[in-house]
Amino acid sequence: MNRAVLSTTVTLVVDTFREAMARKIFWGLFGLSTAMIAFFLFILKIDIVEGALATISIFGETAKEKVDLNRFVRQVEGAIATFLYTWGMFLAIFASAGLTPSLLEPGRIELLLSKPVGRTQLLLGRYLGNLLIVGLNTAYLVGGIWLLLGVKTAIWDPNFLISIATTMFLFAVLLAVVVLVGVGFESTALAVMIPVGLMLVSPILAQHQLAVRLLNSEWSRQVWKALYHVLPKVYDIGKMNLDYVRFGKVDSLEPVGSSAAFGCVALLSAIYWFRRRDF
Amino acid sequence: MPVDASSYAIETLGLRKIYRSPWTGRSILAVDGINLRVESGTTFGLLGANGAGKTTFVKMLLSAVHPSEGEARIFGRNAAIPEARRDVGYLPENHRFPTYLTGQGMLDFYGALSGMDSRTRAQRIPELLDLVGLGSWATVRLNKYSKGMLQRLGLAQALMHRPKLLILDEPSDGVDPVGRHKIREILQALQEKGVTIFLNSHLLAEVEMFCQDVAILDRGRLVLEGKVKQLTAGKGYRLSVSNALPEALRQALTATAASFAARDSLLEFQFPSRNEVNRAIDLLRREQVDIESVEPTRSTLEEVFLETLQAAAPSAMPHQGGKA
Repeated sequence: MNRAVLSTTVTLVVDTFREAMARKIFWGLFGLSTAMIAFFLFILKIDIVEGALATISIFGETAKEKVDLNRFVRQVEGAIATFLYTWGMFLAIFASAGLTPSLLEPGRIELLLSKPVGRTQLLLGRYLGNLLIVGLNTAYLVGGIWLLLGVKTAIWDPNFLISIATTMFLFAVLLAVVVLVGVGFESTALAVMIPVGLMLVSPILAQHQLAVRLLNSEWSRQVWKALYHVLPKVYDIGKMNLDYVRFGKVDSLEPVGSSAAFGCVALLSAIYWFRRRDF
Repeated sequence: MPVDASSYAIETLGLRKIYRSPWTGRSILAVDGINLRVESGTTFGLLGANGAGKTTFVKMLLSAVHPSEGEARIFGRNAAIPEARRDVGYLPENHRFPTYLTGQGMLDFYGALSGMDSRTRAQRIPELLDLVGLGSWATVRLNKYSKGMLQRLGLAQALMHRPKLLILDEPSDGVDPVGRHKIREILQALQEKGVTIFLNSHLLAEVEMFCQDVAILDRGRLVLEGKVKQLTAGKGYRLSVSNALPEALRQALTATAASFAARDSLLEFQFPSRNEVNRAIDLLRREQVDIESVEPTRSTLEEVFLETLQAAAPSAMPHQGGKA
């Protein structure tokens, strides 16, 4: 990438960031992240007894027996990771949905297109800016909770930090859908509904083995399977995330590959559509 | 004198745009095969009624709208290539600048997108804000600016990277008379520096005053193109005499004149041709009436515009329509 392209891309990313700050998107996410960290600070009462054994109190419950502190911390981290992965994702989509249609507002887009900047670069600049906003907040939130747990328990489990990458990966996939819908329909509402719909349908499609047994027609079974394999595997990746945080291993990376492929197709379609559109 | 392609700031070859609705399949022909050349260093006005295709034409020059057929070139390069737009400054009509930016932030952003380095931008911003009379508003967010101020800031934005071609869509829109005068002064200074100015405006008097060349679009077609001086020349002659004119003579002149007006202590007769004014002069001199003045008169651009549109569509006057 030559220097001029890099410099323009940075300008576009910074502009997205500034817009997100002005529209209180960044500060809203930052405030919620801070509130969540403060909440965990408040509820997490862990009394460390030297070594790995402890008497632990969380959410008002005290462990009655001696427990493996490592295992307990991993379970807590798993629960937090799942919570962040799902609800954090919803929030991130809600926050990001307006950023693409705002770029395409009449009177704004013509001026941007009159500059010596390619349309692909223009759209990718906004996409990357949006990723950066959510990425910084995710890193702050996960990192903050990880630090908190580490300080409280003296257990520094790096597996929990994978949640940053997992959350960002899935957000990148769903953001591609947000951008595609934004470019195609310039509708913030649709840009929220479609990715959220994909999130909601994913746990249902993930039951494809059960569905194959229950569905009567072969055609229905094939449609179910096809949808499961084509659409982003929000549920499966969430489960992978949980498994990794708890046990440090995952069964298969297939959900990552197929979701990445979906995200790439969505983003390339958005770029293609954006390049062809008249404004 | 033959002119090579690179000496044209703008050149369009059979430029055509048909908007097709993907849902209904309905088509609208917005621009119909326009061939136009704007020489470098000139000031060019694009005229047309609402819906004539001016905005679509301008957007095709900037690649915001893709031509269905033909090609638009900026300084000899296809306008679809981003690099071709490096020397273009543009002020859109109904612009919507990001209101989260300040005046200087806005200029900095668009300057960066135009490929300017940060040091040059830092030097240029105060210079331009002063030029458009917004020096004291540099750090104020745009949501506090009035429409006229935004328009002046928009002009500063278009000038930020010292473009060789300036495309202005209704630059005086919403600007008060003082601001309008200021804008005209700025544009005149740029014209003297050899910047090509392409003006899309409804203000015919402004175009007439400022532009050397004009083109008139009607329903997507180029119906007239030429030098303003030539298009407005040859309207007739105005003869002024004292109003102490004998009544019989007055009636005789009124009968042959195209129009007649009493102004202060003078009577003004408008004659459509040299022969008629000469006959009137002979008549006045025979009666030993003093002639105050005889001068050739020109058509206004507005007259040329209306006549052209009427000739293009005798049954229809300029129509109100959507933006095309």
